[in-house]
Amino acid sequence: MSDHRPQILVIDDEPQIHRFLAPALDAAGYEPLRAETGQAGLAAIASQACDAVILDLGLPDMDGKQVLTRARAFYSGPILILSARDMEMEKIKALDLGANDYVEKPFRVGELLARLRAALRQRSGPVVAATVVTAGSVEIDLVRRLVTRDGAPVRLSPREYALLARLVEGGGRVLTHQQLLSAVWGPAHADDIQYLRVFMGHLRQKLEAEPSSPRHLVTESGVGYRFVAD
Amino acid sequence: MTADDPPRPDPDALLAEATRQGRGRLKVYLGMAPGVGKTYQMLTTGRRLAAEGLDVVVGVVETHGRKDTEALVEGVDVLPRRAVEYRGQSLMEFDLDAALARRPQLLLVDEYAHSNAPGSRHPKRWQDVEELLSAGIDVWTTLNVQHLESLVDVVWKITGVRVKETVPDSALSDADEIELVDITPQELRVRLAAGKVYLPETARLATDNFFKLENLTALREIALRRAAKTVDDQLVGAMRRQGIDGPWAAGERILVLIAGDGMANSLVRAGRRLADLMMDAPWTVAHVERPNSPHRDRSAGRRVAEALKLAEQLGAATVVLTGDDVPQAVIAFARRNNVTQIVIGKTRDSRMRVVLGRSLAQAILRASGDAAVHFVSAGAPDGGAGPAGPALSGPRRRPLRSAIGYLAAIGLVGIANGIAWVLDRYGGGADLAMIFLVSVLVSGLAFGLRPALLASALAVVTYNFFFLEPRFSLQIGHAADIFTFVVFVAVAAVTGWLTGRVRDQALVSANRASAFSALLAASRRLSAASTQDAAAQALAEQASAAASSSAVVLLPRDGELAAAASAPGAVSLSLGAMAAARWAWERGEAAGTGTGTLPEVGWIFRPLVGLRGRAGVAGVEADAGAADVDERLVAAMLDQGAVALERAELADATVENEALRRSDRLRAALFNSISHDLRTPLSTVLGAATTLIDYDASLKPGVRLDLLVSIREEAERLNRYVGDLLDMTRLEGGALKTRAEWTDVRDVLAAAMKRVERRLGERVMKRDFPGELTLVQLDPSLLEQAVVNILENAVAYSPDGTQVEVAVYEDRSNVVISIEDEGPGIPQAEIERIFEKFRRLEEPTDRGRGNPSKGAGLGLSIAKGFIEAMGGRIAAASPIHGAVGTRILISLPKAVATHRLLL
Repeated sequence: MSDHRPQILVIDDEPQIHRFLAPALDAAGYEPLRAETGQAGLAAIASQACDAVILDLGLPDMDGKQVLTRARAFYSGPILILSARDMEMEKIKALDLGANDYVEKPFRVGELLARLRAALRQRSGPVVAATVVTAGSVEIDLVRRLVTRDGAPVRLSPREYALLARLVEGGGRVLTHQQLLSAVWGPAHADDIQYLRVFMGHLRQKLEAEPSSPRHLVTESGVGYRFVAD
Repeated sequence: MTADDPPRPDPDALLAEATRQGRGRLKVYLGMAPGVGKTYQMLTTGRRLAAEGLDVVVGVVETHGRKDTEALVEGVDVLPRRAVEYRGQSLMEFDLDAALARRPQLLLVDEYAHSNAPGSRHPKRWQDVEELLSAGIDVWTTLNVQHLESLVDVVWKITGVRVKETVPDSALSDADEIELVDITPQELRVRLAAGKVYLPETARLATDNFFKLENLTALREIALRRAAKTVDDQLVGAMRRQGIDGPWAAGERILVLIAGDGMANSLVRAGRRLADLMMDAPWTVAHVERPNSPHRDRSAGRRVAEALKLAEQLGAATVVLTGDDVPQAVIAFARRNNVTQIVIGKTRDSRMRVVLGRSLAQAILRASGDAAVHFVSAGAPDGGAGPAGPALSGPRRRPLRSAIGYLAAIGLVGIANGIAWVLDRYGGGADLAMIFLVSVLVSGLAFGLRPALLASALAVVTYNFFFLEPRFSLQIGHAADIFTFVVFVAVAAVTGWLTGRVRDQALVSANRASAFSALLAASRRLSAASTQDAAAQALAEQASAAASSSAVVLLPRDGELAAAASAPGAVSLSLGAMAAARWAWERGEAAGTGTGTLPEVGWIFRPLVGLRGRAGVAGVEADAGAADVDERLVAAMLDQGAVALERAELADATVENEALRRSDRLRAALFNSISHDLRTPLSTVLGAATTLIDYDASLKPGVRLDLLVSIREEAERLNRYVGDLLDMTRLEGGALKTRAEWTDVRDVLAAAMKRVERRLGERVMKRDFPGELTLVQLDPSLLEQAVVNILENAVAYSPDGTQVEVAVYEDRSNVVISIEDEGPGIPQAEIERIFEKFRRLEEPTDRGRGNPSKGAGLGLSIAKGFIEAMGGRIAAASPIHGAVGTRILISLPKAVATHRLLL
């Protein structure tokens, strides 16, 4: 096991974060690497073939988004963002710049590690290895383009299906409004968030057990949506 | 505009309509003369509406004891009259305030042109009605046509009676409805003969003249035409509002030229009539000021001002042109403004000017081009029925001073005669004419043009009489003497004229210079005033000096106008004066003496209008002795004052804004700080705790302990941070209360050092205290917190193994605390700013060493705030040991009062 412990690079200027994150990652079976500035982080990404990066957006020497942009030029592995709750725009920009997911400070270690695992899963194969995804009583067959609920087929309009498929392919990561709109309606409609609200409402009505408190088609306030399988 | 464009409503008409919204409606019962039955008609109709349930109230009705009219008033609500004491008489007047308070739907007010008793709010009843209308009350009133301002001259020409009670034409043309009450002149004369027409005593004298059949017929025609014209106006107004193109004055523009003579008002009225004839063509009344020959007398200036005011009342635009060449100035203005009609007075031009072709009328006629020129003859002087002569015949000087001038001129010529006689007798051969010229010269220099002319005339006569052969006769014997005499006459006249003019101009220049210097002084004082009160005081003093009477400046305070400054000394305003001041403030018009509002209060109040609106009101006591006040000077000064007040107000607002902006900046900084500095320790606590919970089993004991320690440390850090924020809020919010007690600073330092001991790590803290130290008066807890903040900062920024030294000493007036560290020091650029909020240096050396002392950047700022709140000072110096180290000095003043308190 110790031979292929995935290496996780944590880029954060706060020593206190490293102080608990290092033992937590270690205990979860990863090998923590540490960088305290954007420059050091980029150097580490370039030199050490790390499996995933946890990046704090607030760094002393450079903007976290800048680190992200530069890293994406040569690094395709998962990058998770640590950010403050009141910085929606930062989060959205980071996601659009190629971050895989984000976690808000302060966070539970369990949540961070769950996101990390999901990100690593996506990386380990095609985005969705299984062609059939299950969420509660709903089954989504991406190959046959068939959605069933309690075994009975659910009628979805082409747009609804396109939106659902997009979310499912995301494999649990958050997709921003702009990403979803561009993919389903085309780039010209990237700002028409009201489309999304309406179609997500339709999908929840058809797929969620309790449409008012969705468990699988989850809203990330101010950022986008996320599909959560079982 | 092409024919296809939809008709567009005239914006002016719409605007006028909009200002009518919310106003009461005015109906005028118009008649040709007293006795036609206007009041009767009004009351009959009013009663009918009252019977239909409308709230009709009789405000004032003169029944003159007529039974049939009195019967009509019965049963209708009648407002009680207000008694006004005037010269021992009690006059029963219309009670405006009662009417405003009663707020009927319809108010009947007789005799629109009535003049109120002195001491009333408005001098004229039509002004009362104006106020009622703006309060939204509908008013009906009665009016005889001869009371219309523009018809005063016409009525005078027809009847020989000069009407004193007038209403401006606008008061009639603004009426929403006009009802003509008409009977035939014959019928009216029958009623008059039957005693059915009430006439006041004074009018009775003119009765025979006034009620002649032909007069009544003429007045009737005027009334009918006026009523027709109003109907016409209303039609045109309606058409304009609906955008229908009508037959209104296409391009006619009237220019009325006035001078400071007695004809000014007649000319204005003529202009109004002409404008009426031309379908309300726009008309302008102009006066030309000649900068090089200003009015030599005030009465001319006053007459011009009055005429311009009348023109505005009658609906004209007014303009004062400047230029030495009057015809040229007028024609230039006329050309520029496409004037088609020019109205000028036919005055008695001096023969000289006519001969020289310099007559104004001729010049204008020559240059007028397309414009028609109307001459108005000097028929009806403005002075009224009284002696019109003096008003017309030149300037009204102060008689005493003029008399002295003339007497002195006579005396001077007498003296010249005496000297000439002595010289003639004993000197011989001297040219005696020179002596007389000297007397003319002196008269001119000392007393002005007219005495000089008198002196020259006297000199010529006496010289001829006494000294030219044959003596004691006005005949001249020698031919040579004739030549001498002619030259003498010419020289005397020119000398007198020139010196007189020079002196008069010098006087005018001197007046102007003093006005300018007064303005300059005012402007200097006003611009030096930084607060509103200072500006108000400066303005009051300058206005008082300029008007040589008391002055007061009132400013709005909490919505109420209150006296902010007065000069000289305190001034107490009567209730009436305060009412006038409030009026000036609310309406933005002058009120008080010499105006249409509350003229009896003895003060004149003018609104101070600055660039952004009214800034306040300035009042000047109207003093009969101070007639020399230059109105324009006072007005200019008040304008300056208004701007100065406004500036001071803006400055106050700026200071407030700055304070707000600072607290906004603090708030923004707080948010930034909270989002980062509160969240980071919280993240650590939450992260470490969840790590312990989730992975308890797989953690090594050392790691577990470290996580627990980090939780404790971060919780402490949070606590300190919250404490800092609270301290800062207390400082910023001004809620910091300092106790002052006699304190040994060494005790405070020791306590503070104990509090930071645990965070020292590998550092050493050294103390250097003297054996004895003067007590100082301060708040020990604030000092302790300040010192703790400084020590924590020193610890956070200095590496392990270094030393922090705390020392205290005293000089003659201060106890000084010195705290030194051996950290990296502070760059020179930063040292000025380390006491600013949320300022911290990058990379504290202890980061990641288990001693997170890095605060929010508030510590030193709070220390400074606390120290200064106690009257002390704080400063930083760096580097102190070669290239490293920082020293913070706190200096606490020994209380001056120490001795007294301890003795």
